[in-house]
Amino acid sequence: MSELAIEMKGIWKVYPDGTVALRGVDFTVRKGEIHGLLGENGAGKTTLMRILYGEIKPSKGTIRVFGKKVSFRGPWDAIREGIGMVYQHFSLVPSFTVLENLFLSLSTLEKVTMSEVRRRAEKIIETVGLKVPLDAKVEDLAVGVQQRVEILKTLMRNAKILILDEPTSVLTPVEVEELFKTLRKLKDLGITVVFISHKLKEIKRITDRVTVLRKGKVVGVAETKDVTEVDLARMMVGREVVFELKKREAKPGEVVLLVKDLWVKDDRGLDAVKGISFELRRGEILGIAGVQGNGQRELAEALAGLRPVVKGRVILEGEDITNLPPYLIYRKGLSYIPDSRSVGLILELNVISNSILTRLKSFLGRSGRILWGKAREFTSSVIKKFNVITESLTTPMKYLSGGNQQKVMVGREVIVRPKVIIASEPTHGLDVSATEYIRRLLINLRDEGVAILLISTDLDEILQLSDRIAVIYEGKIMAVGKPEEFTLEKLGLLMGGVKVD
Amino acid sequence: MIKSLIRGWRFSEYLTVAIEVSGSIAAGVGIAALMLYLLGFDPGRGMALLLGGGLTDPDYLLSRATFIMMTGLAFSIPLLAGLFNIGGEGQMYLGGLVSLLTAIYTGNLLLALLAGGIAGFALGLLIASLRVCRGVNEVITAIMLNWTLYYITIYLITNTFYDPLAPHESIKVPPQARFGIMMLGGFKLHVIFPIALILIGLSYYILYHTRLGFEIRASGLSPKAAKYAGLNPKKAMLYSMGLGGFFAGLGGAFNVLGFTYYIDTLLTTMFGMGFDGIGVALMGRNHPIGIVFSSIFFSMLILGGQSMQMELNAPKEVADALSGIIIIALALPQAYRMVISYIRTKRMIG
Repeated sequence: MSELAIEMKGIWKVYPDGTVALRGVDFTVRKGEIHGLLGENGAGKTTLMRILYGEIKPSKGTIRVFGKKVSFRGPWDAIREGIGMVYQHFSLVPSFTVLENLFLSLSTLEKVTMSEVRRRAEKIIETVGLKVPLDAKVEDLAVGVQQRVEILKTLMRNAKILILDEPTSVLTPVEVEELFKTLRKLKDLGITVVFISHKLKEIKRITDRVTVLRKGKVVGVAETKDVTEVDLARMMVGREVVFELKKREAKPGEVVLLVKDLWVKDDRGLDAVKGISFELRRGEILGIAGVQGNGQRELAEALAGLRPVVKGRVILEGEDITNLPPYLIYRKGLSYIPDSRSVGLILELNVISNSILTRLKSFLGRSGRILWGKAREFTSSVIKKFNVITESLTTPMKYLSGGNQQKVMVGREVIVRPKVIIASEPTHGLDVSATEYIRRLLINLRDEGVAILLISTDLDEILQLSDRIAVIYEGKIMAVGKPEEFTLEKLGLLMGGVKVD
Repeated sequence: MIKSLIRGWRFSEYLTVAIEVSGSIAAGVGIAALMLYLLGFDPGRGMALLLGGGLTDPDYLLSRATFIMMTGLAFSIPLLAGLFNIGGEGQMYLGGLVSLLTAIYTGNLLLALLAGGIAGFALGLLIASLRVCRGVNEVITAIMLNWTLYYITIYLITNTFYDPLAPHESIKVPPQARFGIMMLGGFKLHVIFPIALILIGLSYYILYHTRLGFEIRASGLSPKAAKYAGLNPKKAMLYSMGLGGFFAGLGGAFNVLGFTYYIDTLLTTMFGMGFDGIGVALMGRNHPIGIVFSSIFFSMLILGGQSMQMELNAPKEVADALSGIIIIALALPQAYRMVISYIRTKRMIG
């Protein structure tokens, strides 16, 4: 048994509102290994790591770091013990250069000069092989490079333990490879890595050992080489997971949605969608694949009437709907499921109010009175049909789990039998069973003749669901084709802007 | 009515609020009494005056509550849409002034009341449209307008519309354009109070049972979600501020048409009531029903403070400080909830 880097024993975390995030978790990491922390959304992975990083206090339990018992008052204590953490959302100043960011993070700990920071950074870059341009502004860097800056930041603070929270969720396949190379290098240098993820393939590929959490409890610890992906999945969700969604051959009908040479600007007034054209038929799923921020959101919002179309036409069943107000477009049979629940739902309002949100006009009596009785009936049908678990119809939305919130958001759009559904990241942040549920639902809708535009950054989702795939890069469609025509590598290259034949 | 109330807001929530509020008032009273004792006053008598002084004249208590009930709504409705209406004061002056002039010239009560409300509505709309169309912060506009209207009203009353027989007052509202006093089983009551209660019901209906109310609440909680849903947050802002101004204007109209029947040259009968509305709205948890209770309670403390001043010869500041303590105590439930959750946590993990 080698020396332990981290030893957490009997960790409990109960939040002030009574939510129990962790129920007596034991978590040990050996020195110099890459340790995977696997679990569904809400299993407690991030909470456990935030406790280790001193950001939140455990309600109960002891922590040892390199054998020494610790009790952190804040992240600065954890940093002093050699722990570094890289979050999903980076904490960098975008308008500063990399060097300035490094200086900023170091100067809170010790007295340093800019030239000293540069010398130390260059030394680490050389030993680890991290490719980071020190004098570039952070906002000009790709997400993958920004992540390297974050890693570099922790190494500059002499981190011996590096915690990465879902590090691959924002990366392209190529960038993931880069990251894995870096992690192996760090391991060779004797640095311990905790790798948080819910992606089985990555856990299997990069980690030495793995701890699986489910609902705040440890359900398994194993040497990664001794377990299969199926074993891990079973531990994670507590049942066998069907990875392949069985689906019938698509029978596309007539064109329902026609998009011609669409140009849309983003919030900064720059062109985000640059002349996109496509057609969507009844009974097919067209998947738009691409890395986040390549015009997907602007495209979806323009189709739904939420963002002005600068040039081009959107035609729904032969009728021009370009730049109509959203409620009219929705009423004509187009549904838009946004990529974020904070856009699609109002969490403070109750389940009924959220169910009628996008179709308020159908629940109005004369003189604008809301027919709450009708709204209530509609809501119960959504809840029944989509198995939404809620205490009552008048429970505020925020008390529902993420999966159930998503079911309401998707369900209310789907139940009115739209002709076209634009589903943007429909399973984002959902656990395996909820994801499977939503995906099946989309396939069933397709079989019933609904036209679906699926916008997703999750390649598995795109490949599983789509009848045709279009790859979007910097506001343009790089290629369109059947899923069989794409390999993962090819998709990755196209998403990275490389034309392939 | 009861059924729809429960639908909008769950019964258990009402109950919790009721228990919390009474508990914190008790705590506030205790602390205030201790303070009185330390200052060398008789705490028993002082507290009796502070809490009971207002009750000696229920009609006055409720009439006074009527005005701040309206300004409370004036603050609360825009707040639901995400706007800070600090201009209830000015909207009330304008409503009072316009209703007075309408009453003098037309002698029609209903017309005068509506004119007051509409003037307030227009003022609210002006503030909101500056915000929506030009990005001017509504707080700044409202504060400036408060003072502008204060001096305009004073100017008009002292120079043009003063009563030759009593120059520090305006021309009186003609008798046929006044809200009267009704007798309620031996008690007299100014008619404006029950009318205000009807308006509370109306505002509740608008907020929780109409499309406009839904749009206002949804936009206030999440403008981006409202926009996505095809609602119009800008429209919600305009209307909410207009409605707020409408109620503040009615508050002023009630004051003039239903209670004082004139405006004095220093606006003493209205001054500060627009600001009291902010406290009333917050204490009433931004809900029309809550505002009914909080406005009466507020009014009780203010009147009680006045009688304490007179009877105990206590300085005004002491009375104000004591009222303040009791109002702060109403913030205690939050602290209480934290303690409860702490205990629950400990118990769960043993």
